[in-house]
Amino acid sequence: MSFILKNKWVFMGISIVLMIVSVVSLLTRGFNLDTDFAGGIAVTYEIKADFDVADVENIVSNALGADQKASSVQRSNDNEVVIKFGYDNSLENDEARSDFALSKVSAITTSLVEKYDPNGAAAVEEDAAAVEETAEGENPEENAEEVKEAVVTLKNQDIISPSTGQELARSAFWMSLLACIAILLYVTFRFEFVSGVVAVVCLVHDVLILLGIYSVAGWSVDTNFIAAILTVLGYSINNTIVIMDRIRENTRHARKESYAEIADNSVNQTIGRSINTTITTLLTIGMVYILGVTSIKAFALPIIIGILIGFYSSVFVAGSLWATWRDSAVKAKKKA
Amino acid sequence: MSRSIVKFAAIILLIAVVVYVGIYGVDFSDRFKVPGITDEGGITQGLDLKGGTVIVFKAQADNPSDEDMDTVVSTIRKRLDFQNYTEAVVTRQGVDKIRVELPDVQDAEKAVETLGATAQLQFTEDPQGQNVVMTGDQVKDAVAEYGNASSNSMAKNSFYISLTLTDEGRSAFAAATARLVGQPIYIMMDGAVISAPTVQQAIDSESCVITGEFTADEAKSLAANIKSGKIPFSLEQVEVRTVSATLGDEALGNAVKAGIIGLILVMLFMLLLYRLMGLMADIALAAYMGVVLIILANCHVNLTLPGIAGIILSIGMAVDANVVIFERIKEELKLGKTVRSAVDAGFNRALSAVIDSNITTIISAVILWVLGTGTIKGFGITLFIGIVVSMLSAIFVTKFLLKQMIGMNVKNLWLYGISKKQDVAEMKGGKA
Repeated sequence: MSFILKNKWVFMGISIVLMIVSVVSLLTRGFNLDTDFAGGIAVTYEIKADFDVADVENIVSNALGADQKASSVQRSNDNEVVIKFGYDNSLENDEARSDFALSKVSAITTSLVEKYDPNGAAAVEEDAAAVEETAEGENPEENAEEVKEAVVTLKNQDIISPSTGQELARSAFWMSLLACIAILLYVTFRFEFVSGVVAVVCLVHDVLILLGIYSVAGWSVDTNFIAAILTVLGYSINNTIVIMDRIRENTRHARKESYAEIADNSVNQTIGRSINTTITTLLTIGMVYILGVTSIKAFALPIIIGILIGFYSSVFVAGSLWATWRDSAVKAKKKA
Repeated sequence: MSRSIVKFAAIILLIAVVVYVGIYGVDFSDRFKVPGITDEGGITQGLDLKGGTVIVFKAQADNPSDEDMDTVVSTIRKRLDFQNYTEAVVTRQGVDKIRVELPDVQDAEKAVETLGATAQLQFTEDPQGQNVVMTGDQVKDAVAEYGNASSNSMAKNSFYISLTLTDEGRSAFAAATARLVGQPIYIMMDGAVISAPTVQQAIDSESCVITGEFTADEAKSLAANIKSGKIPFSLEQVEVRTVSATLGDEALGNAVKAGIIGLILVMLFMLLLYRLMGLMADIALAAYMGVVLIILANCHVNLTLPGIAGIILSIGMAVDANVVIFERIKEELKLGKTVRSAVDAGFNRALSAVIDSNITTIISAVILWVLGTGTIKGFGITLFIGIVVSMLSAIFVTKFLLKQMIGMNVKNLWLYGISKKQDVAEMKGGKA
């Protein structure tokens, strides 16, 4: 009897507790929705000068006006600042909201340039005047190249209406549901029903706990998170399927072994492979996480977590779950 | 044995060619040309990599018809062409949305105004827009020009828009100007008066001009909007995203570095773990990279940042099939089988696991590809390409390479990842 089989109730218990915590947190705390989902404005500036987040906060609140507050102003990396704010509630339609956003962003840009690059701002204006004077004939791009590198640059700007976020959430839900159903159908078709259900239970387990971790930790959730979830949906099941495949094969050759023994053998025969593939996948996606820019880090992290949870569920839970179900079915038959 | 060496050398050479073509492309004097990823135009970079602006417009109409939406798409495309944004991409998104991707445009505010305008041009008798004399539908062409448009030679030069009318427009305009001599005629764009000249005399001409206080840009975009025609309903922008080119560059550079390091780590890992078989898997992995690069460079896949992550992720997954197969081969070897039969059995027995486990990931990738939008779609496509190619290379290329190894009489079990002779004996005795 292996370590996994001996402690199967411990492992299943851990899974059940984590799932309950996840569900409770999802129902009570929900997610920390990023601009993509909640709607709003997120702008990233690069400022190649010493700056104080408090100063930037002041500039932003001046630009936004008295009744509007930025939801966050944060330094990211060394010389970048990310500013997020919502819409004025009095705005009635998307058009007005986006006009509001665009004008606020350009107001903030102007104030930032005035503060951190006063010479640059003047230079840009002078240049523009020069371009107009020389007018036709000369290539304005030549002049533009002479301008020294700007101190303040707008690196990234996202302006998302609230309705877009709702539609995104809806499409994410349908995509995930569709993926689950398609995978259940495929696994049931290729294996027997019990294996199919076990595979999908593991799948739900993996995604639920991944969502739970994000909910409990309060990490922000954006569009790319959906792609990450669907990747985990498709990939974390791989290990489970390889184990189910081995169970399918071992059941065919089995004589006297109990279901628990078959499952245990199958898990142990495939464990080397499970560990090795998990390592190779983590090596690559881990590199993406370590070296990538902020937005891609946010995409790689849930995949990494999902792969780890998937490893746990397939190695420590899937086999035992299958065997427990099969054994109880046999017992029920005997009683009858 | 010598035949195996030849075959082995041949496939190594072929893989080297594939990788080379994938990176640099080939060009035999125009007759046969395959671009590689480093070629100009080889890869279509998404906006998050090359920088630019994405604007999503939503139609303000309940269930707009397909024809209307198609009209909107072509109208916006025309507006972009007239303003020389030839690289811009316009696509329908969902039922009632239009997605416009503008490369290298940092001034989102201006782009939004020009593209989303309804652009309904009307010539009317009063400033409220009643008694329409002529509409934009009766205009054949509109051009922005600079000079003195008025009959008064003392006037300053300015930007104006010169219209060419259709026959129908010409007669309508002639009739109206004959009737309205001495009165103003109001030229309105989307309900706002842009110019209100007083009619001096009846004008029966194919051309007429709109003067006003226009800047060069205003005149140009106004002309473009008149020429491209009006949009059947008003559009509201629901999403505006701008990425600077520097951020895109940084993101691309980092992602490529991550990919290369990840690839090297995976190759080393396979080599350490499976030795000779690992080397074969690494060669197959090189073939996989080459094929993926060729597909990316030639199928005009729109490569986004998550898309690159998808490819890098699939490098890790690519060897999964080989890990499954090799573990199986090792087991068979430990049972005391000969190398040849162990390899055969390993491939045959592992095949079902490989296919079943990859298909579930393919299901997810296809859903993201078909139903996703923007960067998610890009991720779905590359993940799909990555998994399909990796599965094929792991099954066919690796198998072919291993067969040649056996053909060359490589029988040392250590090379196949088995450490001790004891292992074999133990398994033989224990498992019976």
